[in-house]
Amino acid sequence: MNIRIAALSGAAVTAAMVALPLATRERLPEPLAVHWGPGSVPDGTASFAVFFTAQLGIWVLMWLFALTAVTRGAGREATAPAGAAGGWALLAGGGLLALGVSGTTVLANLDAASWTGARLPAWAPVAIAVLPLAVALAAAWLGRGRPGERSPAAEPPSLRLRPGQRAVWVSRVSNPWLVALTGAAAAGLVVAGVLLLTGIATGGPLAGLVPALALVLLLGLFTSAVRARVTADGVAIGFGPLGRPVRRISLAKIDRAWSEPRHPSQVGGWGLRGVPGGSTIMLRGGDCLVIRYRSGGELAVSIDDAGRGAALINALVAERGVA
Amino acid sequence: MLLTLDLNDARPLHEQVAGAIRRAIGEGSYAPGDRLPPARDLADALGINPNTVLRALRELREEGLLEFRRGRGVSVARHADGRALLRERARELLDEAKRYGYRREDVITLLEELT
Repeated sequence: MNIRIAALSGAAVTAAMVALPLATRERLPEPLAVHWGPGSVPDGTASFAVFFTAQLGIWVLMWLFALTAVTRGAGREATAPAGAAGGWALLAGGGLLALGVSGTTVLANLDAASWTGARLPAWAPVAIAVLPLAVALAAAWLGRGRPGERSPAAEPPSLRLRPGQRAVWVSRVSNPWLVALTGAAAAGLVVAGVLLLTGIATGGPLAGLVPALALVLLLGLFTSAVRARVTADGVAIGFGPLGRPVRRISLAKIDRAWSEPRHPSQVGGWGLRGVPGGSTIMLRGGDCLVIRYRSGGELAVSIDDAGRGAALINALVAERGVA
Repeated sequence: MLLTLDLNDARPLHEQVAGAIRRAIGEGSYAPGDRLPPARDLADALGINPNTVLRALRELREEGLLEFRRGRGVSVARHADGRALLRERARELLDEAKRYGYRREDVITLLEELT
């Protein structure tokens, strides 16, 4: 039902975005003005074909993302309404934004002799910025679904520790895409460095690329893999293939732990994600180790074999409580 | 991977580590083809020498439980064999029995009573 609404409304937006530029094509200048500077003076152009493809392509991409989020959210409404709400927000807000941008661009160019004559109405930029945002917030509110039970009501997992026993848990996870991206950035840096140093290529776009590649490499080194360790000393989470830096959490700070499936669509994407009261280290969707602090906050890490790690944390915390 | 070592166990440390890894694989932490955490990580967590862990891993490779691949680390070759696991458990049972003052013969009697 929900999915049908999302598909149909998306199809309606798509139809409008195909029909409007095609219907008015005869009355548009070639190239069109597609960007306006201060004072509504056009300062950027594109041919009709580029404008048509770009506006439609961006919208269809948003539509697909929204459909995925809504479909996924509908599957597990009880635990993951956040993804569905985001999907509805993207669908409604994104749809309106796409229609607004496309519509006002056509409107401004309509019957203009050349692109320099295209005047953007003064209200258009404000309306395009404010209206879709408001609609997106409203759609997220309406599509939020039932509030899910965040922490499992069931008994958190635990295991029996015998006296004189040393138990540890070690796990890791890496995202092959991020590893590949990091590797590609490193290779790119090497190639760029060699080309620049040997003077085969000088300056220009290549030099501009170097900081970007370095940034990707640096971020990749810290977030393409995560290793976690639970020992009697506490929990240690190491970032990146090198396992540095390490974040240590002492057992005294931990209330309890459990594992649950979480997805990037629920926490706002991949990487380190933080909102007040809960941060997430998300490398891949699926099994996550969730640690609830005594102070009330939560830390979630996407990691393999999280159930056993949680069980050991709970057992160690319980042991501390007794001792 | 959840590993437990008994501090009172008199067996050599590498045997104990091999036993712990065998048990972890047997309990389903890892399916055939899965990669094990690096020996360094395991050694750090357990607070022992990495060479001890490596020795344990080599023992398990000879057993056919693990396989070493260049560049891909250590991965599980097949499911842990039931007999080896049972042996591990039986040893624990004997240790626990000893702690309560029962001898090996007492445990055997107990097992016979069960059938």
